[in-house]
Amino acid sequence: MSNEKILVPDVGGEEVEIIEICAAVGDALEADEGIVSVETDKASMDIPAPFAGTLTSLSVSVGDKIKEGDVIGEICATGEAVAEKAPVAEAAPVVQTAIEAPVAEVIAPAPVAVASAVIEVAVPDIGEEGEVDVIDVLISAGDAIEEEDGLITLETDKATMDVPSTHTGTVKEVFINVGDKVKQGSLVITLETSNGAPVDMPVTKAASKPAPVAAPAKVAPTTAPVSSPVPHHPQSGTSSKGAIYSSPSIRRIAREFGVDLTLVKGTGNKDRILKEDVQSYVKYELSRPKANAGSSVAAGEGGLQVISAKQIDFSKFGEIETKSLSRIQKISGPFLHRNWVTIPHVTQFDEADITNVEAFRKEQNVVCEKQKLGFKITPLVFILKAAADALRAFPTFNSSLSEDGESLILKKYIHIGVAVDTPNGLVVPVVRDVDKKGIHQLSRELLEISMKARDGKLKAADMQGGCFTISSLGGIGGTAFTPIVNAPEVAILGVSKSEMKPKWNGKEFEPKLMLPLSMSYDHRVIDGALAARFTVHLAGVMSDIRKLVL
Amino acid sequence: MSNNIKTQVVVLGAGPGGYSAAFRAADLGLEVVLVESRATLGGVCLNVGCIPSKALLHVAKVIDDAAAMASHGVTFGKPEIDLDKIRGWKEEVIGQLTGGLGGMSKARKVKTVTGVGSFTSDKTIDVEGSDGKTTITFDNAIIACGSSVIDLPFIPNDDPRVIDSTGALELKDVPEEMLVLGGGIIGLEMGTVYSALGSNVSVVEFADQLVPAADKDIVKIYNNYNKKKFNIMLSTKVVAVEAKDDGLYVTFEGKKAPAEQVRYDKILVAVGRKPNGHLVAADKAGVNVDERGFINVSKEMRTNVPHIFAIGDVVGQPMLAHKAVHEAHCAAEVISGKKHEFDPRCIPSIAYTDPEMAWVGVTEREAKEQGLNIEVANFPWAASGRAIASARTEGKTKMIFEKETGRVLGGAIVGINAGEMLGEICLAVEMGADAEDVGLTIHAHPTLNESIGLAAEIFEGSITDLPNAKAVKKKK
Repeated sequence: MSNEKILVPDVGGEEVEIIEICAAVGDALEADEGIVSVETDKASMDIPAPFAGTLTSLSVSVGDKIKEGDVIGEICATGEAVAEKAPVAEAAPVVQTAIEAPVAEVIAPAPVAVASAVIEVAVPDIGEEGEVDVIDVLISAGDAIEEEDGLITLETDKATMDVPSTHTGTVKEVFINVGDKVKQGSLVITLETSNGAPVDMPVTKAASKPAPVAAPAKVAPTTAPVSSPVPHHPQSGTSSKGAIYSSPSIRRIAREFGVDLTLVKGTGNKDRILKEDVQSYVKYELSRPKANAGSSVAAGEGGLQVISAKQIDFSKFGEIETKSLSRIQKISGPFLHRNWVTIPHVTQFDEADITNVEAFRKEQNVVCEKQKLGFKITPLVFILKAAADALRAFPTFNSSLSEDGESLILKKYIHIGVAVDTPNGLVVPVVRDVDKKGIHQLSRELLEISMKARDGKLKAADMQGGCFTISSLGGIGGTAFTPIVNAPEVAILGVSKSEMKPKWNGKEFEPKLMLPLSMSYDHRVIDGALAARFTVHLAGVMSDIRKLVL
Repeated sequence: MSNNIKTQVVVLGAGPGGYSAAFRAADLGLEVVLVESRATLGGVCLNVGCIPSKALLHVAKVIDDAAAMASHGVTFGKPEIDLDKIRGWKEEVIGQLTGGLGGMSKARKVKTVTGVGSFTSDKTIDVEGSDGKTTITFDNAIIACGSSVIDLPFIPNDDPRVIDSTGALELKDVPEEMLVLGGGIIGLEMGTVYSALGSNVSVVEFADQLVPAADKDIVKIYNNYNKKKFNIMLSTKVVAVEAKDDGLYVTFEGKKAPAEQVRYDKILVAVGRKPNGHLVAADKAGVNVDERGFINVSKEMRTNVPHIFAIGDVVGQPMLAHKAVHEAHCAAEVISGKKHEFDPRCIPSIAYTDPEMAWVGVTEREAKEQGLNIEVANFPWAASGRAIASARTEGKTKMIFEKETGRVLGGAIVGINAGEMLGEICLAVEMGADAEDVGLTIHAHPTLNESIGLAAEIFEGSITDLPNAKAVKKKK
């Protein structure tokens, strides 16, 4: 038998934050079943079990930051777990009496006088429907507390109140952060009670629900404050105003840059804030996309002087309901906003005659069905191929602007992102090497990624490396729209619903199936003439796909 | 004769704040005019304050030290006091410093206009000088008009036997019986001088403690040492002064009040200073001055009129030259476009008495009022080799630490040379040093200064020069 460490796979570079714990110690997991959910700057994804087995330990909790190669816990392959009871001990080492007992017996209440036990303290009935905000956390792990000592402070509509400890003991773990929303039953802390603790305490509760199990997940998902999609600057945990550890010269430099030193973590001796710390904080702040784009624009940051929107009480005009944005919306919003305000957009409109390609596609789909290939060829696949051809012909479109804005980085590969509408929101998986793949292979891949996208199973790597994006609303309708460039790409193609139109062939009007194209591009990189040539080329290829093999 | 000057910066008042502002602004490339009513630069501090009082305190110290040597085997004759010569020496000291300032001012091309300046608008100041009026048009102004002594209404202020600190420094004579009204720093310093020169000095203070800003334990040591030198009347006030030919007859009220009127040859009124905000017609520039005469400023030292700044005594307590100088630099730097603020962690205070009392940062009382969790470490000078060798063991060094972190929050020293030692604690507070930092810094031995390191060791529990309360308890 062996306990295998569960390592974090490639999550797309930077550290990512755990937003949910999906499995508890002791759970039997299938291979690829998610253990924890993390949030990357593109989407959230699960870190799966490497093989089927029983989760024997979990060393992370919600809010932790992890990166590729980190250990999140251990798993014991199926068939081996039952015999192994040590992991239980590891998970709850304080419950000495429980370890020897067979697992089955642990489930029964253990009316034994334990020297100490770990108990859970949850939010009691707070006389409040729904969730309330945590405005203060009064204790931290390791604190010795008395019964009735306040643990956290809640703010309800009516008042603020403390959640008291139910027992005397030592705080083992705190599951709540300031800004979290909690309701009756939310786990606040685990408490290691001192001698003479509650003897009738069901040990199960203590043993089977150690540290970071499902409970915190109940609390965390709705909490937004920690979900900034940007690299996290280490905040100083303990420093309070007035107790900043820095010399007068550092305070002066901070003032000159407008840096709030309470937000800067000192790296000097005893966490003294050094000049370098202020510098790196400023660098970090400048490089970071504004997480609350709306408010930062209102505040005139980033060179934008925009008056702030007026607060309007809509309920004055009729019934309203407030619904929080989906996680993907919250994450993508600031990026879309940044792209919209920082990239000078122009949208080029055109039409492609797809009469022939549609006829061909339908023929081929009949063939596909006959051969039971398991997929259908969609118009999008032809657009992908045509776009790849156009990108090859106009390499400027397959580029990114260098950071200093002084040069273009031209890409020799053609990976194209496809915007997919999912129940959770918009995601953009990337199809790789579109130019090197045939219609059938692309059809299959498109089907796979869109299924994955809808199931929320896309990995960070699936969404990286795009050169160009296609957003097709053709299945829904519309005549044209102005998509937002998906930086660092420099162009995006919007596709609307095709329509049969009379086209003059020189002698008479002919019915032609026309596909509306809306291509937005970064005018810093691409000028109008080039954009027109690109869409003309694209439309040309679409109207006669034989050009693809030229 | 009328004169018109246009300048980028005008500074009103040439005390330590004013001249520092002017010099700093000039060094930052600005065109500066300095307006001063006195013939020399330096203000109260150099002319009739800090500096001349230190010259006289030096005289007093040598007299007292010489007398004290008798019990250690060296007996001097009774000192012969030549008041004219002492005064002359004091003037020399002043002259040297103010002359130096004049030279530096010229070298920096700061134009000095002598006369009383007052605003006529938010862009102009008129200076009435002995040789006529000068109108200065300015882009920015720095008000550094300082403060003046508070007169008490029930005292015959016109009587030449009633003097203020300026009068005391003139050293016209040495009165036999002298009453110092006000037990603050200035009163005690001048009392020390006159006592050494031969006066019998009484000090009357309305509060229940001399130098009320300092911690009680510090002042108590001072009181004990000076029990014989001064007749100290605390929680007592003067209610009437009757001027007669043979002296000033004073009626007291309060805890230590003598039942009868007491006759004094001179009364020194040293009950505090009031800001001069009302003396510069600031209202004509639109600058708000409160009813007491203070001008409110931002951390950048700006008044409510953005291009007019104010610094020094006129912007608030503490009225100390070193505070004014730092405010002055800040104002000049802000005018030159720097984004600076006056934002110190601490401002030191020193009474140049005998023994000296010096304190900085939070006092023990302030810490209690603010609910700070502190630990105090007292190093008594009875355990200091240098203090014993100097026959001055009455002193002590007190350090105030944040209990949890050991961070130095403040400190106080009473004893000889306390003022000279305070700088280390100021630096520790500003740098956020903790007890360990201070304790691990090697202080030279034998010095009085090492008492600061030793106080830190008391907190750390590493002290070996005293019984160590934090030593590991041995099992028996």
